[in-house]
Amino acid sequence: MTAETTTETAAPAPTASPASAEAPPKKPAKARKTSFTQALNGALDLAMERYPEMFLIGEDIAEMGGDFGVTRKLLAKYGPERVRDTPLSEAAIVGTCVGAAMVGMRPVAEIMFADFLGECYDQIVNNAAKVHYMFDGQFTAPLVIRTACGGGFGGGPHHSQSVEGWFLNVPGIVIAAPSNPADAKGLLLASIASDDPVLFLEHKALYRARGEVPEGWHTVELGKAAVARAGADVTVVASMRMVPMALAAAAAADDDGISTEVIDLRTVKPYDAETVLASARKTGRVVVANEAPRTGGLGAELSARIHEECFAELAGPVVRVDGLDTPIPFSVPLEQEILPGEDDIAAAIRAAYRGGAR
Amino acid sequence: MDTPTLRGLYRDMWLIRAFEQGLEREFEQGNVPGMLHTGLGQEAVQAALAAHLEADDAFFPDHRCHGINALAQQRHAGDGERIMAELFGKATGVCSGKGGSLHSADPAVGNFGDNAVEGSYMATVLGVALAAKMRGEPKVACAIIGDGTVGRGEFHESLNMAAIWDLPVLYACVNNGYAISMPVGEGHASANIVDMARGYGFGCEQLDGNDVVEAHERVGAAVAHIRAGNGPRFLELKTWRWQGVFAGEFRPEAEVKYWREEHDPILMAADELQARGVSGDELEGIEAEMRELIEGWIDFAKASPAPDPAKATADVYVGWEVARR
Ligand SMILES: Cc1ncc(C[n+]2csc(CCOP(=O)(O)OP(=O)(O)O)c2C)c(N)n1
Ligand SMILES: [Mg+2]
Repeated sequence: MTAETTTETAAPAPTASPASAEAPPKKPAKARKTSFTQALNGALDLAMERYPEMFLIGEDIAEMGGDFGVTRKLLAKYGPERVRDTPLSEAAIVGTCVGAAMVGMRPVAEIMFADFLGECYDQIVNNAAKVHYMFDGQFTAPLVIRTACGGGFGGGPHHSQSVEGWFLNVPGIVIAAPSNPADAKGLLLASIASDDPVLFLEHKALYRARGEVPEGWHTVELGKAAVARAGADVTVVASMRMVPMALAAAAAADDDGISTEVIDLRTVKPYDAETVLASARKTGRVVVANEAPRTGGLGAELSARIHEECFAELAGPVVRVDGLDTPIPFSVPLEQEILPGEDDIAAAIRAAYRGGAR
Repeated sequence: MDTPTLRGLYRDMWLIRAFEQGLEREFEQGNVPGMLHTGLGQEAVQAALAAHLEADDAFFPDHRCHGINALAQQRHAGDGERIMAELFGKATGVCSGKGGSLHSADPAVGNFGDNAVEGSYMATVLGVALAAKMRGEPKVACAIIGDGTVGRGEFHESLNMAAIWDLPVLYACVNNGYAISMPVGEGHASANIVDMARGYGFGCEQLDGNDVVEAHERVGAAVAHIRAGNGPRFLELKTWRWQGVFAGEFRPEAEVKYWREEHDPILMAADELQARGVSGDELEGIEAEMRELIEGWIDFAKASPAPDPAKATADVYVGWEVARR
């Protein structure tokens, strides 16, 4: 095991289990308490069984099972043709996925850390996201790029970044971003089944989160947000690790008599504007919570959109909670200066409730 | 090579030259939008590659490959004029005008499309080859790359991966001596690209890409080797492009004279055909026939309608519509 493997054990557990806050599914499927990592692993296993055209590709994913253990035991079951180790060649990994997808395969790549996506940025942005469009629909790129993102564990500048903003401005790409084990499974199966290229963000702090996960083939529709917690006074729009933090902050706000709704985006591109805007109109007070740097990110987009479309119904301006506009420093107290936390969301909820900026 | 084969290649080379010269004229008259990179001077490379790639194979053309695109389209689908129409940005083009000169594709004829981020498909081709290998298909996946792209990281990542996985890939490197203004020997550790590929341990050859007889034979041998499941091949095809850089000609006069007068692929093939008794009249007839064919394609392209504006927002996603303004 590499030194990086130890990051899994170092990752903090989430502050709340969002799965428990979700409304139960209509027809309750059998569910089992499972970790986020196991939920992903189970999804890959099910999909490998269902799709003979699917294969896994990435660094140290075969014998070792991936840096975070997501592909563990799949080599033994599916063999080295379909569980394919590679050298440190991120561009060639994604290039291989694009080419294979163009001829009808369904590859799922693992890029060990999202910070390394710069190495294959061109393949994602100019190939995966564009072959369908620029060749007039003659090709599709049904591939998934799974990657570990996010900070909070002392990973430093090159192992901690939140990268959704790097891709928000890229038409053609889908960005899935689960916040809990059930959605991790459901979104991953939906991503693999999708004929569009999906960047699948796995926040490292969530890998050890546990929650009820439906057994069998369970999908969560891409592009659909969840109301993780219903409320009447303030809306918090969040994704990934910000969701358990928002749920905890919302619980704390109950004590102040503020009823908070938490929207879990689940897919951050294309995001579910309908659900977000409906909630904004209902409460009239909105917080958008986001771990990435503030400028030009998801929070900026959501805030702009909510102001544009709900201006008359808002009781005050949207309050943004984001990371600061800096790289992520190594030292944990410094990192805590940069990344937003539960307290920041709680303060933002109170500020929004009072009708204005923090 | 027998004379009918050589005559066929001569014809293919004229199709390419007539295509590019007609296109250049239309471009200068303002009828072709965007940028123009022609394959003039490199006709033998393209004719040799096109001759060995079947519709079930896959090739990724580079930015000078209008000719190979047109040959494949004409040979396998009988509608080469749709390549011309694509360059004019018309609805009848192979990508309904959405791709243009640098992004023309038609998988039905094995054309997997150019990528104007030069050489990116050095990696993409791996996936096509890997899929073929996993499925047991006798497909050859070919990436046609310029000497300039050898400087990219993907060159090395991709050749390495092709080697360790023993993939059915042909890297055809068109070494025309320059990347825009950068001479190949200044931009790379070796002016012989083949030296840079050899370390990956599969068969690499350098050849005269303007000698259509040699090019046809050696491309054929490489394709047969790959198709038989024997792993990747790398060919460096040495040639020279007529097109200089934007401001005009910057290359030494003697060099220009050598390549355009003494080592032109079409003149060389014509000499060989005449030595075998083919008459000058017949050769002129082939040229005239190809020029007429291409003028017809240009007329077709000009007469074709522009794409439906709704196309602009179509096919961004499979699963979502993108709103129009
Ligand atoms: C990745 C990338 N870098 C730079 C360019 C700009 N560019 C277009 S053509 C070219 C030169 C390519 O040279 P070469 O591969 O030798 O092809 P040639 O034009 O000589 O046929 C450059 C630098 C590009 N399109 N893509
Ligand atoms: Mg060149």
